[in-house]
Amino acid sequence: MMRFIRPRLRKPVGIALFGTVYAAAWLVHGGNGWVPAIVAVVGTAAFAIAAYVRGGRDSDEDALYGSRTDERQQLIAQRSWALTGKVTMVAAFAGVTAAVADRAGWWWPFAVILAVGGFSYLLGLSNYGVGEEGPADDADDGHQVRSPVKR
Amino acid sequence: MRNRVREQRTQRGLSQAEVAAALGVSRQTVISIEGGRYLPSLPLAFAIARFFDMTVDKMFDPADEEAGT
Repeated sequence: MMRFIRPRLRKPVGIALFGTVYAAAWLVHGGNGWVPAIVAVVGTAAFAIAAYVRGGRDSDEDALYGSRTDERQQLIAQRSWALTGKVTMVAAFAGVTAAVADRAGWWWPFAVILAVGGFSYLLGLSNYGVGEEGPADDADDGHQVRSPVKR
Repeated sequence: MRNRVREQRTQRGLSQAEVAAALGVSRQTVISIEGGRYLPSLPLAFAIARFFDMTVDKMFDPADEEAGT
């Protein structure tokens, strides 16, 4: 869906979308939920505008905001997301361990994060090429192959 | 790995921004490549070599590979 949106608008639109969903959750919550909903909408709008403005500037971070990254900047983003994933998994493991030790009932959100993280890792392995080894070609299966070069 | 990007660029009187625009990458990436902090992908390495009218092995010298650059 994002491909139909101008690159510089992709991050701001994504931020606005997440903020709107979060604000809607507070409205569904009811009661005085409209207060944090308004705060979420205003905060999200400010963040989205800031992301749009930064998307036009000339730095690595701003290129990420503007969705106009080159290969090095994409590599930086991928490494950063990989670090995020690892830290999240460690934090989730610490959370579930602490909850179990404390005999607390709040162990399951951490377990869900661990499970989703583990599944995502396996999905990544399957999507990004593990298992593409295939059978060895003639040169590697132990049979002598005649060189195509005539002497 | 050493490279001759900076040398070739300055010889031709080009700015980093001009080289970046010609190669379709950011100015920061050209700076990183020149400083040896980023090894470009094979397609980008070929594009750089072609841009400066050189071969890849002339543009990038693997002599310092063991140094961990």
